[in-house]
Amino acid sequence: MLDRLGTSLKDALKKLAGKTVVDRAAVDELVKDLQRALIQADVNVKLVMALSQAIKTRSLEEEPPKGMSVREHVLRIVYQELVRLMGSTGEVKLGPQVILMAGLQGSGKTTTTAKLARFFQRKGLRVAVICGDTFRPGAYEQLFTLCSRIHVPCFGDPTDKDARKLVREGLKAHAGTEVVIIDTQGRHALEADLIQEIIDINAISNATHRWLVIDAALGQQASEQARRFHEAIDIDGVIITKMDGTAKGGGALSAVAETKSGIIFIGSGETIEDLERFDPDGFISRLLGMGDLRALVERAEESISEGEIDVNAMMRGKFTLRDMYKQLEAVNRMGPLKQIMSMLPMGNLELPGEAYDMTSAKMAKYRIIMDSMTAAELDEPSLLSSSRVQRIAIGAGATPDEVRELLKYYKTMKRALKGVRGGQGKFNMQRMMKRFGGM
Amino acid sequence: MFEGLRSRLQKIQGRLEENIETASAGAEPASSPRGPAPAEKGPGMMDRVKVLVTDREFFISEDDVSEPLFELEMVLLESDVALPVTEEIISLVRQNLTGQRRKIGESVDGIVFSALRDALMQVLGDGFDLPAYIRGHDRPVKILFTGVNGTGKTTTVAKIASFLKKNGFSVVIGAGDTFRAGAIEQIDEHARRLGIKIIQHQHGADPSAVLFDAVQYASAHNVDVVLADTAGRFHNRANLMNQLDKIRRVMKPDLIVYVDEAVAGNDAVVRAHEFEKSVGADAVILTKADMDSRGGAAISIAHTIGKPLMFLGVGQGYDDIMPFEPAAVIGELFGGSKENA
Repeated sequence: MLDRLGTSLKDALKKLAGKTVVDRAAVDELVKDLQRALIQADVNVKLVMALSQAIKTRSLEEEPPKGMSVREHVLRIVYQELVRLMGSTGEVKLGPQVILMAGLQGSGKTTTTAKLARFFQRKGLRVAVICGDTFRPGAYEQLFTLCSRIHVPCFGDPTDKDARKLVREGLKAHAGTEVVIIDTQGRHALEADLIQEIIDINAISNATHRWLVIDAALGQQASEQARRFHEAIDIDGVIITKMDGTAKGGGALSAVAETKSGIIFIGSGETIEDLERFDPDGFISRLLGMGDLRALVERAEESISEGEIDVNAMMRGKFTLRDMYKQLEAVNRMGPLKQIMSMLPMGNLELPGEAYDMTSAKMAKYRIIMDSMTAAELDEPSLLSSSRVQRIAIGAGATPDEVRELLKYYKTMKRALKGVRGGQGKFNMQRMMKRFGGM
Repeated sequence: MFEGLRSRLQKIQGRLEENIETASAGAEPASSPRGPAPAEKGPGMMDRVKVLVTDREFFISEDDVSEPLFELEMVLLESDVALPVTEEIISLVRQNLTGQRRKIGESVDGIVFSALRDALMQVLGDGFDLPAYIRGHDRPVKILFTGVNGTGKTTTVAKIASFLKKNGFSVVIGAGDTFRAGAIEQIDEHARRLGIKIIQHQHGADPSAVLFDAVQYASAHNVDVVLADTAGRFHNRANLMNQLDKIRRVMKPDLIVYVDEAVAGNDAVVRAHEFEKSVGADAVILTKADMDSRGGAAISIAHTIGKPLMFLGVGQGYDDIMPFEPAAVIGELFGGSKENA
């Protein structure tokens, strides 16, 4: 199901590919697929609606930057809006601090507390934890066991039912420790007495950070719960747990939106090392069930800065060896041709097969051959007489046949370009260029 | 639970009715015998007019309901009903509504109600009466609890133990979560408080062995019910799922109960499906229903695996568990608004 979702998004993107102007229907379709993807990822429905509205408006109203195709333009807007949704990436400072953990029952606070202790320990800080969960049986044993495995002191008393007192004493006992993490009992927004308890603990501990732990599978409830927690103790960071399952963690985005904070860590496994810093790009890919969106956007942006390729000259029919050289260079920088081609908007345009049947080894060879040409030859390939071909071959360590092959390839490309120009104007020259250039 | 969904549903019903009313109001002039005007509007109108004049009925068209249905869709999505399930419900309601003929003067909400109610009934299915099930089977009745991490399996086992004890059954608990730190201590403490026998091994032991022992104990001591707790596991961990399968082979449970939380979003559908596929599930328990008054996960899970919802966990106390009765819930869901209508 998830793969299918990614595919339909990709298809929607592909539909934009052949277009020269932003097509309302295509954008609508893309936005609809995007909505489906995000809603299935448990992002708050209202957020999704606001996001898709923004994407739609911007795609249709903003003029695509020069040299950027419609598809890349829209893609970039989608990416930017998604990043905005992520909020700021929460900073973790490596210094003395008190961290208060908050969250719903069963969201993974205790496990995450131990993982965090491990994280700070590995950064060379002295860490201690306080077990403030006086309700759940076995909570202290769980935290104590996890901490003793990594030799982190754990303060708590399973027989004491007063969490406030435990926290007060714990802070005293751990005075002089750089990082103190306070684990608390799971609670939800409707339990007024427990919310009061965590407000008190926050006041007592004067916590530097108050982090909300969110289960990746949490659905639309996330907004509401996060809002209440935020009202109570001013949450300044979100940790997503259980990302090793199939849940997408969209609920955390709702929490981020409510608390105006950012996602700090991601818990993705059952061992104590399974805590990762948050990576927005990986997260977006997961949300949408498609490949690395940023990589695509970056490639698109790179291709704009590749403005050295003189599009106008080409429009006038001037496609020289020098232009081809630049394209080959660009392709080389961006990885295997086939992979890039697969990400490209192919539209409905047919190219001579040999244009991209070229292997990367051959491409490298071509570049070497062209390195042996003079500037004049690169600009005016018709200069290349048999003796010049001979010279170039010797200079490049190639055979004259290979040089001729290169020239043949060049002519094919040139003809293809001419053909496009001669067409009924249904092709976009820039897109064509990028296509040859690998982007 | 479900109150949120209910109040939203009522709003939508209002909208649906409004739209259908306006549609009928617009068509009304046509019912007068000397009104030829509507007939000219197009061939599509002919049928409508004919039905209207001869049978004094009119069609509900798709356009009349599309906007409120979109709103209904949003409501379901916001209530955590998973997307595929939502779409199915909407298409059911749409099918039930459009193309229907309605007698002029017939109550509108009747049509809307039955369409929504039928759709939800179809999804929620029947409940599950655990005490009756236990009475009807050979002792000991072995119940295995499965689910992903942190959904509340251990707490639920304690609650069910307490529930069954109150219903006059003898119970033994098998501490099958030998993985998570503190899990054995947790269930041990619950059992101590409830005065229930517990079979446990040390941390890291083979859960199949623990649960086998629990079953042996129950047979030897004529205990009515074995409740087998297990470690939380994700459905995409093949080895852990294989372990669960081994547990199933070894203890041969009569009932496999899948535990998930009411606040879970779309993933609820994915994992319920995977658990059902790999180890099976006979009934579902939804926990943390007190956090959420919407109940969408109940609808999604029930719809996905087609297994009855047995209990709802509604709090942290041992008594905070209630049997789930779909008919009552649906009655409640629509009950309030009937008075308004």
